[in-house]
This record gives sequence, C-alpha cells and structure tokens, in this order.
Amino acid sequence: MSAAIPDGRPVAADGPIKVWMIQAFLIFNSILMLYPIVIVVLSGFKSTAEIYSTPFSLPASFEPKNLVTIWEQTRFPRYLLNSLIVTVSSVTTILVVGTLAAYALARYRFRGNELIYLFFLSGLMVPLKLAIIPLFIQLTSLGLIDTQLGLILVYTAMGLPSAIFILTGFLRTLPFELEESARIDGASEGRIMWSIMLPLARPAMVIAGIHNAVPIWNDFFFPLVMVQTDRLKTLPQGLTIFMGEYNTEWGVLFAGLTLAALPITIVYMALSRQFISGLTHGAVK
Amino acid sequence: MTHTINRRTALTALGAAGAALATGIRPAAAQSTELSFWTWRQEDRTQYAELFGMFTRDNPGIRFAFQGFEPQNYGTALSTALAAGRGPDVIHIRAYGGLEQFSKAGYLEPLSPQTVPELANYTPSALASVTDRSDRKPYAVPFASQTLGIFYNRDVLSRNGVQPPETWDQLIAACKALKDKGVIPLANGMATAFMAEIFTAALTLPLHGKAFNDDLVAGKATFEDPRYVGALAKLLELREYMPPGFTGIDYPTMQQLFLSGRAAMFVGGSFEIANFRRQNANLPMEFMAPPAPTAGAPRLVPVFYDGGYAVNAKSDKKEAALKLIRFFSTPAFGNKFTELLGNISPIAGVRIADPMLARVAELNKTSGDHITLVHFRYQSPTGSELLTAGVQKLMGGSATPAQVAKEVTDGIATYHAPFRRG
Amino acid sequence: MLQNDLGRKLWIAALLAPALVIVLLFVIVPIASAFLYAFYSWRGLARADFIGLENFRLVLFGEPFGTWTFNALRNNLIVFTSLMVVQNGTAFLIAFVLLKSLPGHRFHQVAIFLPVILSSVIVGAMWKLFLNPFFGLVNQGLIAVGLQSWAQPWLGQPQTALGSIIFVNAWHWVGFPALLFLAGMQRISKDVIDAARLDGAGDMALMRHVIWPLVAPATTVVVILTFIGSMNWFEMPFVMAGIDGTPAGATDVLGLYFYRTAFGSATGGLQDFGRASALAVLMFLVIAIVSVFWTRALRRRELPE
Repeated sequence: MSAAIPDGRPVAADGPIKVWMIQAFLIFNSILMLYPIVIVVLSGFKSTAEIYSTPFSLPASFEPKNLVTIWEQTRFPRYLLNSLIVTVSSVTTILVVGTLAAYALARYRFRGNELIYLFFLSGLMVPLKLAIIPLFIQLTSLGLIDTQLGLILVYTAMGLPSAIFILTGFLRTLPFELEESARIDGASEGRIMWSIMLPLARPAMVIAGIHNAVPIWNDFFFPLVMVQTDRLKTLPQGLTIFMGEYNTEWGVLFAGLTLAALPITIVYMALSRQFISGLTHGAVK
Repeated sequence: MTHTINRRTALTALGAAGAALATGIRPAAAQSTELSFWTWRQEDRTQYAELFGMFTRDNPGIRFAFQGFEPQNYGTALSTALAAGRGPDVIHIRAYGGLEQFSKAGYLEPLSPQTVPELANYTPSALASVTDRSDRKPYAVPFASQTLGIFYNRDVLSRNGVQPPETWDQLIAACKALKDKGVIPLANGMATAFMAEIFTAALTLPLHGKAFNDDLVAGKATFEDPRYVGALAKLLELREYMPPGFTGIDYPTMQQLFLSGRAAMFVGGSFEIANFRRQNANLPMEFMAPPAPTAGAPRLVPVFYDGGYAVNAKSDKKEAALKLIRFFSTPAFGNKFTELLGNISPIAGVRIADPMLARVAELNKTSGDHITLVHFRYQSPTGSELLTAGVQKLMGGSATPAQVAKEVTDGIATYHAPFRRG
Repeated sequence: MLQNDLGRKLWIAALLAPALVIVLLFVIVPIASAFLYAFYSWRGLARADFIGLENFRLVLFGEPFGTWTFNALRNNLIVFTSLMVVQNGTAFLIAFVLLKSLPGHRFHQVAIFLPVILSSVIVGAMWKLFLNPFFGLVNQGLIAVGLQSWAQPWLGQPQTALGSIIFVNAWHWVGFPALLFLAGMQRISKDVIDAARLDGAGDMALMRHVIWPLVAPATTVVVILTFIGSMNWFEMPFVMAGIDGTPAGATDVLGLYFYRTAFGSATGGLQDFGRASALAVLMFLVIAIVSVFWTRALRRRELPE
C-alpha cells in the first residue's frame, strides 16, 4: 500500500507500519464519532425510564413508539416541511448573496474593501440572540412577525457574515492568473466570475452552506420567540413540546431529533463528494 | 409513561381558534372573541382545554388560543413580545420578583376588588405573591401553592425495616440503615441549580425555625446568623447518603433514581406529585414534612406560590380577559384545577379529594416561607442565585457553611441596607 | 487589475449591495439598538433613565457582578485555548491523513462529520448520559479496567466540569474545522507536493514546510471562527450544565451570563437588560479588537499570490 496524492498517483510510499498506524487512528476516531450516535439512535426506541436505567443496552423493543407519539401529538409532516422551506430558502439566499459579496471583497481592490470586510465580520461577533428585542420590534413594524419570511430574513442576516468570511478567505487563495488571462481574452467580469472563478469555489460554498444549514435546521430559539401559529412552526420548535417544566421526554426527543437529522445527513453525504473529487478537478494548474 | 393526547381532540377542544387558523378560514361570527393564553406549562395543554371548556360553557362568545412554550425560554419569548407591545391577552406568570419585573414595566393590568371581586378568595400571603410591593396592587391571581418536603418510597422503606423519619437523627439513622442494605437513601444531586435551592430550603426551615425567618425579614438577622449557618452545616451530614457522585447528579437522574425505586427518598416539592405520577402511576410514594431538629419540635414545611394568571395591559380584549381571571378565582375552577393538575389551588373553599394532596394541605398548616424565593428574589443578585451557587460549593466541599452564609449576605447587602455591616 | 471606471464600480456595488442591506437591517441595526440599552436604567423590563456608564461599572467592578464577569471571561479564554488544541489540532491531523486517500477515507470523512449535523440538545443530553456519575459509560469503563479512582462526577466538580463540556464540544464540532483544513489542503497544487516528495520530504517535513504555510488562509478562518465561537459559547454549556454555570459558576461563560442577565433563569435570577447589554457591548469590544488585530496579523502570514 502506498500513500497517494489526490489523483491516486503514488508519490512517496508510506511504510506499511505507518499506514496501519494511520488506519488504526482513523478507525479509532470513527468509532469515537459513531458509537455515541448509535446510542442516540437506540435511545430513540426507549422510554425515558429505560434511557436512565439501561442507557447503553439495546432497547426492550424496536417498536417505534416514540415516533408514534410524535406523529400523534405534533404536526410532524407540516413542521418538517416548514423546516425545509425555511432552511433551504435561508441557505440558498446566504450562498447567493454571500458569494457575490465575498467575490467582490476577495477579487477586487477598491477603496473601503477592508472596511466593508470588517463590517461583515462585526456581524459575526455578537450573537443575534442578544438583540432579540430590537429585532422583534423591527420585524413587527415590517409585519414579519409570525411569518416564515421573517425567519428566513433573520437567518439569512445571521448567516451572511460567517459565509462571507469563509468564502472571502477561500476566494482570495485562487490565483489571479486565470482571471487575468480571461480578461485579456476579453471575457466580461460576470462571465469570469460565473464560469471561471465560482466553479473553483465549490468546496468553500459547501462548507459555508453546511456551516449555516446545520444551526438553522436545528434552531428552535428564533421560531420560539417569533412564530406562534402552529401551522408555521419548524420541526425543532415543534418538538420542544416534549420539554416540560419538570420532565423532558428524552426518548421522544432522541427519536424526533435523530429523525430530523436525516435530511441533512443525506445532503452532506451527497456533498461530501465535492471534497475528495474536488481535489482532482478543483486543484489549480 | 405519558398520556397520549389525540392531536385532533386537543385541537377541537381548544376551540375553533387553532383549527380556523390552520385552515386559513376566519370564523364569521362577529361577537366571538378569541383570548390568547401563554404558558410555560405546555404539558398541561389538555387539562387547560378542559378548564377553558368550563368557562366557555357559560361564555359561548369567547374562544381560546393556548400557546405553550419550552419552559426555559418562556421568559425570553414573553418579555420580547411584551416589549414590542404584543403578547397574549392572558399571561401565565411567575410570582414574587418574577412578577414584579413585568408589573413595574407597566405590562400587566392591575387588579382590584372592583374589577375582580374574587380576590377575596385568596389569603393575604397568596395575594402577596402576585402583588407589586411598590404600589401594593395585585397584578395576577395566584394559581397554585407549593410545599417542600420529602418524598419516600413506602415499599422500599418497609422492605428495609425503616420507619419514615420524624427527627433529624432519625433521618440520619434511616439513611444509614438504607445504605447498609444497599439502597441509595436520598436521590438528590446538585447538578441542577434550582434543585440545590429546593433541597436547602426544604431541609433547613425546621432546623433554623420560623423565628429566624421573622428576624431575617425584619432586618434583625442576616444569613450569617448562627441559626442559619448551623442549619447549613447539618446538610453536610447527608453527603454520604446521597448517590455516588451526587455533585454530578442532575434533576432527571434524581427523578429516575427515585421513580425506579433505586433511591428511597427524594427531597423536593409538591410540584413533583403530578410529575411523578405521569411518569410512574404505580409508584408507592408518600410525601412528608422535613424532619424536626429534635423530637416534639415543629416539622415546618416551606411554602410558596408558583405564579399567577395576569392580564396584558395592552390587550384589546381586557373585558373578556378579566372575566376569565375572575373565573380562574372561583372555587369551581380551583376544584377542577386541583383535580386535573394535581396541584393545590390557593382559592378559599377548594375541595381536595386526592389523599396525597389533602395531606400536603394538612402539612401547610405548620408552614413557613420558602425564604429565599418569597423574600429575596426581587433584586439582583437574588438570594436564590447566591444560595444555589453557595450550596453547590458547600456540598462539593469547597466552601464552609459560614463562607456560604457570608456570600449570600454580602450579595444581598448590595441592595438591602439591613444586611450591611456597621 | 481593471481600469477604475464607472462600470467596474457599479459591478462591485451590485455584488455587495444585497448582503450589505440585509446585514445592516437585521443584524447591525438591532444590535446597535440593543447596545443603547446599556446606557439606561430599567424599571423592571421597561427602559427608564439614561445613566451613562453605570451599568458598565456594575458589570466590571460592582460585586458580585464583576467577579462573575471575570470568572466567565476566564472560562471563555480556557474554552478557546482548549478548543484550539483539542478540536482544531485533531481536525488538522485528521484532515492531513484523510488527504492521503487511504482505503476507506470516504467513510471516515463522513463519520467525523456526522456529529456536526446533530442538534446540540441531543449531543448534550447523550454525553450527559455517558458522563453520568452513577450509570455513565465513562465511569463504568474506568471501573472495569481497574481505574476506580479515576471515576468521578465529571460534570459535578469545578475541576472537571468545564473540561468535560469542552471535550463534548470538540467531539460535536471537530468535523467542521477538519473539513475546512481538508478544503484548504486540496487547494495546494500537486506539483508542490510532488516536488517536496521528490526532494525526499517525509510527512513531518511536508506538513511543516509545505502544507502548514499553504493552508494559512484556512487556518485564519478556523482560528477566527473558533475565537468568536468560544467567546459566544452558549449552547453546549447551556444544555449540559444549565443556564447558571453549574457547579457554582465553574462552567459559566459570557454567553450564559449574558443570557441569564437579560432573560432571567426561570428559577433563580431576574431580568436586567441594562447590565446584560453592557455585558454584550463589552463582549463585542473584546471580540472585535482581538479579531480585527488577528485577522490582519494572520492575513499577513498568508502567502501572497
């Protein structure tokens, strides 16, 4: 076995012992990552009492009773759909708007560049939770309280600074030669951005997308404060009805939130190809 | 475990409100008023549907929109909405300082015997829990009294030949006997902050006595009083009878240890009764007053009021809201509330059919204030947050009773003149 | 570079405008309004009189608030340093070995990222089960291998509580910096690596002299995001130790302290928007000064094109 650089062409061979050590490290790490997740999934089949009496054994039965509870007591499909609407809209807007801004900041020198960069960065420095009251008042005056559009705008605004930060960092590292030669060939700025630079930024866009999608998908704070109409609730918010004052139904929450993680998991698995394959296609020169 | 609520029945029971919104059809009836009600008690949704049902039978023009919140973030959602001039018509609200911060801001409608004649149905101490001390007006009607004490598992105790302890020495002896038999004597841990305060309040009141409470409130004593320090020191004797690693035992774990019979006793409050029953209906549990310091001394139980129902000052349906508040103060409501929710309604003349609640009501006759909540939770740093951190250190072994008492006193002294030294 | 004509200016403005408007309207303006709260006294939850810097004085020097503030700040700094080592160090290492594309690397790449997807509520609750002093797997495991004395109430004692939560946070998020590093390493041209390998560079040399300097942009992103994340740390300690920083403030951080001050804890503290906003302003100042300074320093370290 030999170590290969990305396109699979062996360069310098790692000795077999070293390869085994690396494999052992990776396998150990993956077990550490996956075992607790297995426990989470198993806990989804248990009652709260069972979780606390036998947390690490197999559930007494694999009947999906917690899922039945969720199905009966919440409008699960509706909440799921709402979460999808809110997350997909927010992340799409973040990526589109954020990439444009990051591109401007990373690829052009102009007066105020640094200042605008810091302006976006400052939006990252304080959690928006802090400003929930002024934000709420502002959304009320815009008629956006208790609407999905209000949530989407808040999430977009919240996600843009980090997306711009990440994307600017990556776009900056792309060599200027490509751009210059395209310009000499007479390509328009828009065309250079769209057909030459952005395809190279795909891994960074995936990262910025995931960095925002996961917290938005899992958030129940903003919906809790901003959305009261049952029809508009998101999935994590809807599942908070199982968190009581003195008792939380952990089995139900484990089942519900694990299920809620499935869509994102699938999306990530699909996108993870962007990375290793991105090596061969994305690597410059 | 949990009762399964049929989603559809719950919705219909809540009135056309939810359904109408869900389908986007607004009811045409012009005379119909919709009252919104916000609460952190989302687990009581079906019971409230029934309670509201009693009201709507006599007031057919009023419908309800029940909005339950995740309890930890209820204050955030509520104060944010009120700050923007929104929020529900009727508000489920915490008592004491928790109420005052809303009433001082003008968010709540003051109540008076003219608008709510049923205020006469409450005792002065119950009304005090929902009264703003600056203008002496009540801003809510209280919904439940809570009593602190000790739960015990009848079967576990008798199986191990242990009698329910009546004095502190008997408590220690009982704990020792249980531990020798391999049973965890006390389920309590320290990893959930508010339970650290409950634990302390429940056990120390009979030890330091009511006279100390009176002196403390009158400004004649501080928490550094030897009676209080002595009571705190007694708590240390319990460390070896709490679960192994009790500093890291959180509230859910405590509950499960007691509910599964692995722990014999649980220091807590009457608010657990409904909670424990929902989780394990067959648990042979009993509730008793904390032990007396010596035989014959009174076994005082700390009592407090949980909160109340208030009217949003900005509500445009105040008339209907006040009507509901008046209904919430009637014995008929109190009876149903006690029956359905397993908590003691503080309304005069309430019938308590449930034997365990009846015993709690009996214990309330020998009670004192839950001192940090009832008197020292009006300004920051609150007595509660200071005591919680102090007791966590005390039980964890990193502070002495005297140090804890000093920290609590010094913290409160920053705004409470009688606690300031010379 | 392009000529500085009107078209170019309009093009750049068009690229920036949407983001600027959204961030200004829904982040900067609300936050600035919240900052103003810091200069007022509060009658319960309603704003009362302008009181200048009094809230700042209370938060910094008033007792016990000052002690709480500096305790929380100290914990934030511990969180940052520990996450840099534990979370980002591991992430770098994993990214480097994933880059070798050994058999099964796709599997490992997915595995390391799965926790990131889970909600903090679940991750926190699950690790609380693992760390439970009574039936937790960690203690049971230690006892099983004869290390009884190592078994302890991880989340219950001041010496271990914060460290345990930091570990869980690292477990939860390690996939993210790993991905960032991986993406950064992928940008490195094969020729550069080939050349280094042909020069006989081993892994260590390759890492130190080629990869490390070339992933500098990714490192900048990771360091700054970790710093800001650590200073605003909230979710994991909230889920695992509660809003009060149990035990006795050992896990208290500025995010929790701010939230508790602003919105109270249902069972102990009251709400005070004045002090809370003063805290927020201070948090912002610390984060802003450090990040701006750092971004510039780190960007200088990045290679010129």
